[in-house]
Amino acid sequence: MALEGKLVLLREERHEDQRLFVDLRNDLETQGWNVALPPTYTEGMYVKRLDAMEFSYERDSARLSVEVKETGELAGYISYSDVDPRIGATIGIAIAKPFWGTGVAFDAQEILLRFLFLELGLRVVHLWSHSGNVRALALAGKSGFEVTGRVREGMYKNGKLLDTIVMSLIREEYFARHAEFDDLLPDLALTGG
Amino acid sequence: MPTIRFETDRARLRALEKGDAAALQSYLNEPSIIGRRYIPWKMKDVAPLSLSRVDGIAESWGKEEKSITLGIELRETGDLVGHVGWHWGWDTHCPGAWVVVASSHQRRGIGSEVLTHLLEYLFLDTPAHNVNGWLASWNDAGLAFAQSLGFTVSGRVPRGGIRSGAFFDEVMVDILKPEWLAVKGRS
Repeated sequence: MALEGKLVLLREERHEDQRLFVDLRNDLETQGWNVALPPTYTEGMYVKRLDAMEFSYERDSARLSVEVKETGELAGYISYSDVDPRIGATIGIAIAKPFWGTGVAFDAQEILLRFLFLELGLRVVHLWSHSGNVRALALAGKSGFEVTGRVREGMYKNGKLLDTIVMSLIREEYFARHAEFDDLLPDLALTGG
Repeated sequence: MPTIRFETDRARLRALEKGDAAALQSYLNEPSIIGRRYIPWKMKDVAPLSLSRVDGIAESWGKEEKSITLGIELRETGDLVGHVGWHWGWDTHCPGAWVVVASSHQRRGIGSEVLTHLLEYLFLDTPAHNVNGWLASWNDAGLAFAQSLGFTVSGRVPRGGIRSGAFFDEVMVDILKPEWLAVKGRS
């Protein structure tokens, strides 16, 4: 079964994807980092990073390319990391500007959440953003994420002090929004929460 | 140029050495400390630690490039009674901080002395604007301790783990430099 949604599929990274990933990293709006990075990343660096990945059955992170089903175009990537097995993980997403507002990011996010909750059996998924990234906060909210924490004025970006924001989606909320799935994973908590 | 002194009235904050493993092990394995030892993130903070494991932790702390962990040594006796650390992996603008004190030396103001000193260092000698920390939601004493020094709760991130049949949250606390200055002005 492929990681496939209505609009996109999530697949392994390929060498030819790296050009777009470099562009996403070198654009201050899409690079998604606490401190601005200089736009000096190169395709060579990214290819080297990809080639350095070793085979392993023990994976606590992944970056997946987001490919538009209809056209085969690469729209960006979505990732998860910091996996605490059967408990939680953190996701991140970067989508090229031409695909903003097309539903591609939401579809990719929903596919990844389905994988994390239904395949990895996580009980919570988090993401990090900042108070100035209205688009990212809205995208997360659309999948049911809620703001659960912040580092007040923890970022300085585009000349502004911004709050670093943590958003979380717990398993029960995910399944409540997805009546098409039954949650058959036994409850860990005896007392809720 | 003056050297920054990592000392308080009663404690000296010093680098951990190989010979510290036994002292570290004795308080890290106290049942009341387990779960809030602030050992490297990837290690499950649930079980007693062997001496060689503690050696590995101290070595790992020593190798960190964007984090410093110092031992808390009592000036009077030379006893190692805890550790204090801070990291700036994301940004020197918002470092994270933590303090761990052996249960035998808690409630004597040592932790407050040390964290007060650390805040002074971070706000006066580094670019820090926000100093933050994370605590398990069952750690009421830790939260009260942080709040007593001016930290406020800035989040409650669900499901940091499971304990005694219930999920616990990760409570985020932070203090901004202007808030710290106000607290300092009152003290």
